[in-house]
Amino acid sequence: MTEPAPRRASLFITCIIDQLYPDVGVSVVRALRRRGVMVDFPAGQTCCGQPLYNAGFTAEAKRLAVRVLDAFDDCERMVVPSGSCGAMIRVFYQDLFADEPELLRRAAALSERVYEFTELLTEVDGAADAAAPSDDAAQSDAGADVAAVAYHPSCHLLREMGVRRGPLDLLEAASGVSVVDLPDAEQCCGFGGAFAVKYPHISEQMLADKVEAILQSGAATVTACDMGCLMHIGGAISRRGLPVRARHIAQVLDDPAG
Amino acid sequence: MSLGIPSADFLASVRDALGREAGPPAAAYQHLLESAGELELQAAEIRRRNAGDLPLLLDKMAGTAALRGWNVQRAGGGEDALDYVVSLARRLGVESAARAESAVFSAVPVDAALAGAGVVCWPAVYDADRERDAVRRRLAESGLGITGADYAIAETGSVIVLPRRGLSRLVSLLPPVHVAIVRAQDVIDTLDDLFVLRRLEYHSDGGDMGSYLNFISGPSRTADIEQTIVVGVHGPREVHLVLLDKE
Amino acid sequence: MAEVTTRDFAAASRAAVQDPQLRRAFGSAGAGFDGARRDAIDEVTPEVWEQWRQQARSIKEHAVGNLDYYLELLERNVAAAGGQVHFAADANQANAIVSEIVRTRGVKVATKSKSMVSEELGLNHVLEGQGVAVFETDLGEYIIQLAEETPSHLVAPALHKTRGEVARLFADKLGVPYSDDIEEMARVARVALRQKFLDADMGISGANFLVAETGTLVIVTNEGNGRLCTSAPRIHVGITGMEKVIPSMQDLAVFLRLLPRSATGQRITSYVSMVTGPKRAADEDGPEEFHLVIVDNGRSRLLRDPALRESLYCIRCGACLNICPVYQRVGGHAYGWVYPGPIGSIVTPELVGVAQAKDLPNASTLCGACREACPVQINIPRMLLHLRHELAESPDSQRRTASDTDALLARGFAAVMSKPLLLKVARRLGRLAVKSVTRDGKIGRSRLPFLSRWTAARDLPAPPARSFSDIWRDELSRGDR
Repeated sequence: MTEPAPRRASLFITCIIDQLYPDVGVSVVRALRRRGVMVDFPAGQTCCGQPLYNAGFTAEAKRLAVRVLDAFDDCERMVVPSGSCGAMIRVFYQDLFADEPELLRRAAALSERVYEFTELLTEVDGAADAAAPSDDAAQSDAGADVAAVAYHPSCHLLREMGVRRGPLDLLEAASGVSVVDLPDAEQCCGFGGAFAVKYPHISEQMLADKVEAILQSGAATVTACDMGCLMHIGGAISRRGLPVRARHIAQVLDDPAG
Repeated sequence: MSLGIPSADFLASVRDALGREAGPPAAAYQHLLESAGELELQAAEIRRRNAGDLPLLLDKMAGTAALRGWNVQRAGGGEDALDYVVSLARRLGVESAARAESAVFSAVPVDAALAGAGVVCWPAVYDADRERDAVRRRLAESGLGITGADYAIAETGSVIVLPRRGLSRLVSLLPPVHVAIVRAQDVIDTLDDLFVLRRLEYHSDGGDMGSYLNFISGPSRTADIEQTIVVGVHGPREVHLVLLDKE
Repeated sequence: MAEVTTRDFAAASRAAVQDPQLRRAFGSAGAGFDGARRDAIDEVTPEVWEQWRQQARSIKEHAVGNLDYYLELLERNVAAAGGQVHFAADANQANAIVSEIVRTRGVKVATKSKSMVSEELGLNHVLEGQGVAVFETDLGEYIIQLAEETPSHLVAPALHKTRGEVARLFADKLGVPYSDDIEEMARVARVALRQKFLDADMGISGANFLVAETGTLVIVTNEGNGRLCTSAPRIHVGITGMEKVIPSMQDLAVFLRLLPRSATGQRITSYVSMVTGPKRAADEDGPEEFHLVIVDNGRSRLLRDPALRESLYCIRCGACLNICPVYQRVGGHAYGWVYPGPIGSIVTPELVGVAQAKDLPNASTLCGACREACPVQINIPRMLLHLRHELAESPDSQRRTASDTDALLARGFAAVMSKPLLLKVARRLGRLAVKSVTRDGKIGRSRLPFLSRWTAARDLPAPPARSFSDIWRDELSRGDR
C-alpha cells in the first residue's frame, strides 16, 4: 500500500533562484505541475536565513526564519529546490530555536513537511509507478538528442538531508539524459557560502578540482540540486569558456536538451 | 607522592564543568557490574563455543594472521613445529635464538632441536648471574626470538603475550625475527572474548592485571615516509606463527 | 605550551595551497588513508560499522559524562597496581610534574613514543632545558624532531616531507650517506635509535585509552617503539588528556576495531600494548616506576559547554583530516597548532583561546564529510556553527571577535531580506551597480569590493530583469486555476 501521491505543494524558491536564476524556478513549477501537483507560492518569502546562520549571526537568522515559519506554517507540503536551504529548514531551524519552545514546535512541525525538490518528485513518481508504469520510463531515447549529464551531489543534500540515490534515479529514468560518472563526486565543490569569498584561495582549489573531475567525466552538462554550488561551478566554467553547462536538476528534467 | 594539583581539586573542577554531584553515574555500567561468578559463566561459554568450532576457528586464525603479515605454519604436532623452527633457523643462518618460558615448549622442545642444528637456544631470563644490560645485549644480538602465546585472537590475527617471570617483554621485540608457537586451545575468536577472560583473571586474582599485555599482530611496520610501508622498524621485520592443530 | 600561530591561518594556508609538493602530499595521503578506511568498512559491512560507531559513542558519552567518577576509579586502580597518577590543570603544571620526576630520579636520557599531548605541552623543550636528551622514536616524529618542525597530521606526523627531504635531513643530521631509499632510511632510524632505547632512563608515551576498571594505559602502535619506550627504561611516564578514560576493559574491543580501521584501514595495528602499573617483582623486565600524568589544559572548557562536549569523544584517528577538502589542500601546519583539520578547528580555539583562532571555525564549507567519517559520530559541523555563533554573538566580549564589517553585513542582509519591498529596491540598486561590469548577462572580473573576491576566478550572473517573484506574479500564479 503506497501513500497517495502528493497533490499540493507550496514553493520556497530560495533567494539565489529568486534573484539570479528565475528560470530554474519556472522549471521547478513546470516539472511539478506536469506531474499533477498544484503549486502555490506563499507571499512574503525571501531567504531562509542560512547565510546568517552559517556566519554565526543567529539573532538575524531567526528574524528570517520566523518569516519562513509564518509563510509556511499552514502549508500541506513545502518544496525547496535546494538541499542547502532544505537542510536549513528541516534540520537547523530546530537548533536555531532550541531555546524557544513555541518556535521550536513550529519548526519541528514544518520539518516534517519539508521536501527538497527531488524528494518530492521521487515520492510523486513512486506513487505514480505504483499505480501505472510511467510514460517517461517507457519512452525510448532513440532518435532524441541525449545529453551526457554529470550529477554533483551537494553536501547538505547528501549529508544533512540524506538524499543520495533519488536525484540519480530521476536522471536515469528521464528520457534524453545519459548519466555519466563523476569522479570523486561526493567531494565538496568549495562553495560554502561566505567561505568562497572569505577563503577564496582554498575555495578556488576545490573548485578547480571539481571542474577537472567534470571535464574527466565527459559530461556536456553538470547538474545538482543546489544553485549555490552551480553558481560556483558554472562561474568557473564560464570564466574558462569550457564546453559544459551548469544546470539545476529541475531544468535538466524539464528540458534535457535545453 | 602525587605531584601536580591534588586529585580532589582536579576532580572537583571536572565535576564543576560537568555540573554533576560527586558519586557514581546515575545509571550503573553493565560491564563494571558483573561478579566474578557471572564472568566465570561468560568465560565458560566462550571456552565452550571456541572448542566447539575449533577447526573453523583455527582456519580463521591462520587466515587472518596471514593477512596481518604473519608467516603461518600449521603444524600437526610437536615434530612438525620443531622441523619448521629448525629449518627457519637454518635458512636465516642464526647462531643464537632467545627463548621465553612457556608450557608449549614441553610439547615442542626447541632447545634440543636447535642445539642439534648448531644453534644456541638460550632462555631469556634475568637470573641473578646475569646483569640486565648483558641480557639485553644478548637479546639484541640473537637472530631469533621464540615465544609461546597466552592467547591468540582469530578476529585480528593477534598473538597475545602476558610478560611475567620467564617471559621477558623484549624476546618478541629485540631480535629481528620472532616465532610464536601457539597451542590450539589458546586460540579464541574475538577481542570481546579476550577481554572477558582477562577481566575474569583480574577479578579472580585479587585485582592484579599483571603489568603488561601485548598484542602482536604481524611485523613491526611504518608508513611514515611517503606512506610507503616498510617492515622491521623498531621491532621484528619477520614474524612466524606456528599453529599447533592438536592439543 | 607549544607555540600558537593560529592567527596566521590566512597567510599560511595561502602559501600552502601554492606549494605543489604539499598539495600532492596531503591530497594523496588523504585519498590513500581514506580509501583504506572505506575498504575496511566495506569488509565488515556498513551496517556493522554503524553499530560499532553507535556503541563507541555511547561509551564515550557515558565516560565523559561521568568523567570525574571514572578518573577517580582510574586513579585508585593505577595506585593499586603500584603506579602513580598526577593531575595537571595546565601545560605548565604538567611540564613541572615531569620535570620533577626527571630531577628527583636523575634522568639523563628519555625516549618518547608518539604523544600529541606532549606536543601540546611543548614538553621536549622543557626537558631539554633541564639537560635531558629527549629522543622521539616514532619514525615520523623522529624526522620532524631532527627537522625542528611540528607534526602535520595526527597519525602521520611527517606527511609533509618528501623522501628526498628526509634523506637530506638524515645525511645532514646523522652523518649517513645520502640515500632516499625508504627502507634504508627506516634502517638508519632503527640503528640510530636502538641504543637510545637501551640507554634511556625514562620512557614517555601517550595513551590512546585509559581503562578505569583496571588502571590500564593502552597504546596502539605499529613500529614497536611504543613497546620499547614502555618496556626498556626504568621509568615510564604516560602523559595524556583527561578525556581518554573508558569505564571497563570490555569497552576496549569496539575501540580497537574502530581506531586502526579509521586511521589507516588496518584491521588492527601491529601492536597494542596495555600497561598496568610498573613491573611486578617477579617480572623479567619492565619499568620500576609508572607515572600517569593526566592533563586538563583547557579541556574542562570543552566539557563545560554542552555544545562542544562531544569533541572530547575524539580518539585521534585522523579520519576527519584525511577526508576534509580543506585539510587536503592546506595541510596540517596552516592550522597553527598541534591539532589540525576539522577536529582541530573545534579543539584548538578552546584550548588556545577563541579570539586568536577565529579563522579555524570559519575555514570550512560545512560539507559534513568529517561527521560522516568520524568513528564516534562527532558532529563537527554543528560545533563549527556553534563556535561561529560564539564569535559573532557571545555575550563575552573576549569571545565575540567577529569583525564589525561582518556584523554590519549580517544586519544589512537581514534588514533587506526581512522586507520584500526593500529587497525589490535593493535589487534595482544592485542591477545598476553592476551594469557597467555586466557583459552578456555575466559579471566578469570586477574591482568592486566583495564582488572582486568572487570574480577573481568565477563569473557571476547579473540579476536578470525579472526575479522569480515577478515571473510568478506575471505568469505562473494563474497556472493551477
